Amino acid sequence: MNKEITPLGNIRISRQAIATIAYHAAQRSYGVVGLASKNIADGLAHAIVKDPTHGIDVEYKNQQINIDIYIIIEYGTRIKSVASSVAKTVQYHVEKALGLPVHEINVHVQGLRISEDE
Amino acid sequence: MTDAQPAQYSRPIDGNFFKELMNAGLTWLRTNQEAVNALNVFPVPDGDTGTNMVLTLQAAYDEMNTSSSDSVGDLSRDLAQGALMGARGNSGVILSQIWRGFANNLSGVAILDAPNLAKALAGARDTAYKGVVRPVEGTILTVIKDSAKAAELALERTKNPIEMLEMVVEEAKESVKRTPELLDVLKDAGVVDAGGKGLLHIFEGMLRYINEQPLDIALVSVKPLSVIGRHEAQSAIEPGQDYEVIVDFHPHESLNLENFYENLEEMGTSIQMGEGEGMYRMHIHVPTEKRYTPIDYIMTLGTVSQVHIENLMEQMNTREKEEGFANIKLAPIEPGQIAVIAVSPGIGFARIFASLGAAAIIEGGQTMNPSTQEILNAFENLPTSKIIILPNNKNILMAAKAAAEMSVKDVQVIPCQTIPQGIAAMLRLMPEQELDSVAKEMNIAITEIESGEITTAVRDVEIDGIKVKTGEIIALHNGKLVAASNNLQKSCSDLLKIANAQEYELITFFYGENTTKQEADKIADAMQELYPEQIVEIQLGGQPHYQFIISIE
Repeated sequence: MNKEITPLGNIRISRQAIATIAYHAAQRSYGVVGLASKNIADGLAHAIVKDPTHGIDVEYKNQQINIDIYIIIEYGTRIKSVASSVAKTVQYHVEKALGLPVHEINVHVQGLRISEDE
Repeated sequence: MTDAQPAQYSRPIDGNFFKELMNAGLTWLRTNQEAVNALNVFPVPDGDTGTNMVLTLQAAYDEMNTSSSDSVGDLSRDLAQGALMGARGNSGVILSQIWRGFANNLSGVAILDAPNLAKALAGARDTAYKGVVRPVEGTILTVIKDSAKAAELALERTKNPIEMLEMVVEEAKESVKRTPELLDVLKDAGVVDAGGKGLLHIFEGMLRYINEQPLDIALVSVKPLSVIGRHEAQSAIEPGQDYEVIVDFHPHESLNLENFYENLEEMGTSIQMGEGEGMYRMHIHVPTEKRYTPIDYIMTLGTVSQVHIENLMEQMNTREKEEGFANIKLAPIEPGQIAVIAVSPGIGFARIFASLGAAAIIEGGQTMNPSTQEILNAFENLPTSKIIILPNNKNILMAAKAAAEMSVKDVQVIPCQTIPQGIAAMLRLMPEQELDSVAKEMNIAITEIESGEITTAVRDVEIDGIKVKTGEIIALHNGKLVAASNNLQKSCSDLLKIANAQEYELITFFYGENTTKQEADKIADAMQELYPEQIVEIQLGGQPHYQFIISIE
């Protein structure tokens, strides 16, 4: 839980809220065809998820926001460029919405999607 | 089509011609690179769309150019491969997808005819749209979609791929113009989409080549106003061209640019034109005796709203007296001492930081962010392990923090977001003390100072209820827009009022590289009159873009 103290009281921003912002930013980021479950062990890594908490991990520790994003990328795009764009876009949107700095964004490329006609 | 078509219209598009066309697209994109950068507000306003597209297309072209094949199908596959390997940034990735889709539908095609071009553009559109879950309209995606549609419609009217390209360019132009209606963030910022505009430049460059129009001269391009700042072309002053003249005007009727340039070329050099919201800005260097000629000429064409004349030679002389960053004397560091690394946007600030004991100065500021590596390089070789970084700008904070983490040294980043904060922090430096306690002192110091910035708006915008028009002088208080007017003095006084300057003791105006000492003196005198209880000082800051950076303490 992210907490800020104002003269009137506290403002709390849940991890879920931050994850939702990150989820939307990531989805609109070019090259990303889906968010993936972070848990590879359960065999669902390639199942594209709809619930933001499954593809995004938000950690709030020592006054710092750290975000982990698990994504699936379109096959045939330059993965490095797509991943760094995602990190940049998510950072920008989260910082803009919250007014708080994001300390770290880790992008995990969980898989590639190959479109049918290739 | 037209009565006299250039010979290239009937030339079949074989491998060689295809290469020439791509080279033309690349050249024209590069010519307009800065203009595209200036438009970049989406998805992240970091001003690199033009650069990323140029680098991506350059890599693509280089890959294709090494191929000896004369088949358009083979070459476009190489092009796509090169684009994939060289894709830089968001717009570069989309561009690489566009070429991939383009190539997909051309396999086995030796000569590019109209039906194949339409098919290739349709493939480009399909592949581009596949690369994202939620396509955002009003971007380069929309422009490739509209271009593909235009090619399809053109098929009913022509069998000539070049006439088809003409229609595609026509529609792409309109499509770019429509982007602000589809994407609010563009509308709010008063710009069209940067990536879409970049794609248009590629297509347009091919057509310009066919029509034998110049590709590498920015003269003929009309840039958005934000790009043509004052003092733009100072680096290239030719002897005899002593005066810089800038005229803002509204033409009475639509401007015949070619005639206009021809007439201007008779008067001087370094001609640049900017356009925005129906207003034009003309920039030219002329000899002394002709300094009023462009103004008289433009007055016959429209209503002049603003004129700016400057003696460049005079300015060069004062500039040469000031030495570069390299000649600044930095504080020597003994092992075990604290070394401060400061980021400075201008020569004046660099000197101030050096005089206060900075061990290294990195050049950087609002539009010129040093990389993590540059920051790291600045202190890795210093003979001490105690480092403090003063980023002095919020855009540089992240890179500074990253450098701190990468280093094996003990590094503290002070989150100062403005130069006055950085100077306030610098004043607390005790090189022999413990790193943590000095950093703590600095962190307190930066909260005790008010910072102000005065600059000229580069585009129309509305933020926090304050409406700003291009060219107005805007005031920022601690990074937040608080006032706008068309008068430098008024913006300064508004700022001091909002910052509660009467509650403080010292007001320092650091004037920028584009502001003269005389102008600064005048403002300082006026402010001293308004605040007789406070001490008002002026200092050379040397920063670009900002007339003044102001500290109130």
